[in-house]
Amino acid sequence: MNLKTLKNRLESIQTLATIPAVAKHVLKLLGDPTVSLVEISRFISQDPVLTSRVLKMVNSPIYGFPGRISSVNQAVLLLGLNVIRGLLFGITVFDLMQQTMIGLWEHSMGCAILSRLIAVKKGLKDPEEVSIHGLLHDIGKVILVLKFPDEYEKVMAEAQEKGIRVYEVEAGYFSTTHATVGAWVAEQWSFPKPLIDVIQYHHKPHLSKVVPMETAIVHFADVLLRGRGFGFAGDSTVPPLHPSSWELVGLSESDIKSILREAEDLLEEAADLSL
Amino acid sequence: MRISAKNITPGMKLERPVLNKNGLMMLGADTELTGALVKKIQKMDIQVVYVQGISKALPPLDEVLAGLEGRFRSVETAPHMDVLKKLLREHIEGLYKANESKNPEK
Repeated sequence: MNLKTLKNRLESIQTLATIPAVAKHVLKLLGDPTVSLVEISRFISQDPVLTSRVLKMVNSPIYGFPGRISSVNQAVLLLGLNVIRGLLFGITVFDLMQQTMIGLWEHSMGCAILSRLIAVKKGLKDPEEVSIHGLLHDIGKVILVLKFPDEYEKVMAEAQEKGIRVYEVEAGYFSTTHATVGAWVAEQWSFPKPLIDVIQYHHKPHLSKVVPMETAIVHFADVLLRGRGFGFAGDSTVPPLHPSSWELVGLSESDIKSILREAEDLLEEAADLSL
Repeated sequence: MRISAKNITPGMKLERPVLNKNGLMMLGADTELTGALVKKIQKMDIQVVYVQGISKALPPLDEVLAGLEGRFRSVETAPHMDVLKKLLREHIEGLYKANESKNPEK
């Protein structure tokens, strides 16, 4: 499949028959760059199922809030527009995935948790945003599996057989990787620039121009999580850590160990979370 | 230890108090859970409960470490990956040690 064909077929992603009506509404609402917090808050509150999912997510270990957040308004105020939008995307899109690629949701949650813990360790200003970057970094895989299930099945089989990563096999089928596909749809859906950058470069963190630190953190979290053997992202070997990310993130051995220790219970809890 | 409320069982002891939605304390630390309390907590719309050290049924350590080796096999010579593997190995061994000390009779 060449790039042009791929792009044409992905353009109709919002009209995919498999996307339920609520998800379509969410995507339409979030795709509007001028949408306000009040509108999003009202939209979530009108739908009891969505409300309960949003509250479960904000009280989940992917954020580190100590108290219990019991209302949508409180969640929206506390997290801000970018994080709430990312969260809604996560809930909406990964919902479609649960049965398509078992383990990708766990991988995404795990990456969100580790990204946040690293961001906290580095003293970054908005660890919750980095958490959303981790949650959504593999959105391109969701899109590819949804749109081209048979081809992606072959990609995973080939990666398994050769003992390499899916992103090294994807180009042979799609002329590009899930990282680029993710960045395209993220642009179509008006994701914030930093998030698009992380999605595009999470396997090539040294090329990130907009948010090099956040991209390096998500890349690091991805490697560490697969090393731990939590979740499944289409292949079963750890990708190499880019040396530039090792330098940039600059964690000491004891930092890494304390992050792993802290993550352990949170990962277990995340694995039990059903939306 | 922080565990999901749906996984609590009678006999566990609370590490921290259980609070309701409004932050009121419903059960104090050190309370031993009975069947009735478990049901009550699970009805309370609480996601997480902190219970005192319990040992978990972990898969055999050698299996877990073999899995770790397998996942790293193709990146063994890549920079820093030996350090990450070593740290993960120590982390996993630490989990098993901590688990053992909570369950000394085994």
